[in-house]
Amino acid sequence: MTGITTHVLDITTGQPARGLQVELYDVATDPPTLLNKTRTNPDGRTDSPILPSASARTGQFELRFYVGDHFKAPDGLSDVVPVRFAIFDAAQHYHVPLLCAPWFFSTYRGS
Amino acid sequence: MANDDLLQPARRQFALSALALSAAALLPAAAGAQTPAPANPAQGSGPIVLHGVSPRLTVHALDTYHGAAATGLRIDFSKLEGGSYKLVRTVTANANGRSDEPLLIDESYQAGDYELLLHVDDYFASKGAKLPTPPFLSKVPVRIRVVNVAERIHLPIQFGPWSYTYSRGS
Repeated sequence: MTGITTHVLDITTGQPARGLQVELYDVATDPPTLLNKTRTNPDGRTDSPILPSASARTGQFELRFYVGDHFKAPDGLSDVVPVRFAIFDAAQHYHVPLLCAPWFFSTYRGS
Repeated sequence: MANDDLLQPARRQFALSALALSAAALLPAAAGAQTPAPANPAQGSGPIVLHGVSPRLTVHALDTYHGAAATGLRIDFSKLEGGSYKLVRTVTANANGRSDEPLLIDESYQAGDYELLLHVDDYFASKGAKLPTPPFLSKVPVRIRVVNVAERIHLPIQFGPWSYTYSRGS
């Protein structure tokens, strides 16, 4: 498998973040180009890869996670969390999860 | 009790002197040095206490790849104004991984949306890290919202070539 997948986990509940809006942009263009806009399913993933294998290519991408709408914490540290990264080898799969709480955000290249 | 003894300044000083003498005895090669150089510069300074200081935004960047303060990391600090981020200032993480001055303090510490753009690619290139081209992480945007200016925000950021974490610290 190639392309980009994501997974959002809410560490305040220990559960997947369900129904959280996620967008994928191509940020090599100015302004960035919206490639996909979806919401996480009950497993905290998107039903289909946010960048499907058929569209896999090298480039600069950005995931945007709408955590403010999810947590609804008035003093939350972030509203929309951007995660900007490169696909440097289109033959590889890029799994980019987000672990989050209203005051904590962590992302990494997963598998 | 031994712990109570350590709370008395004179005895504590005596205990510390004894420890220093013991350490010197164990390290004959360093015995002539006034203050031995720290083995790891990243661990060379103690914790910084921010409790009770005036409202401000401070940042602390740590490089989890090398286990060190992210000395030399460039951070472009911007504020969201009229739909785009306008540069406020560029700072470079000091020996302790912090900016020399708070990013915002007193009158400049205002509610709003801010961005710290971390130049992670240049940082790891300067360290000679062997990474793909382009690297997975290049310019990392960390966007935060200041809501209550009566409360200071400390922002610790831990990053490596393949991951980063930030949170509200203390």
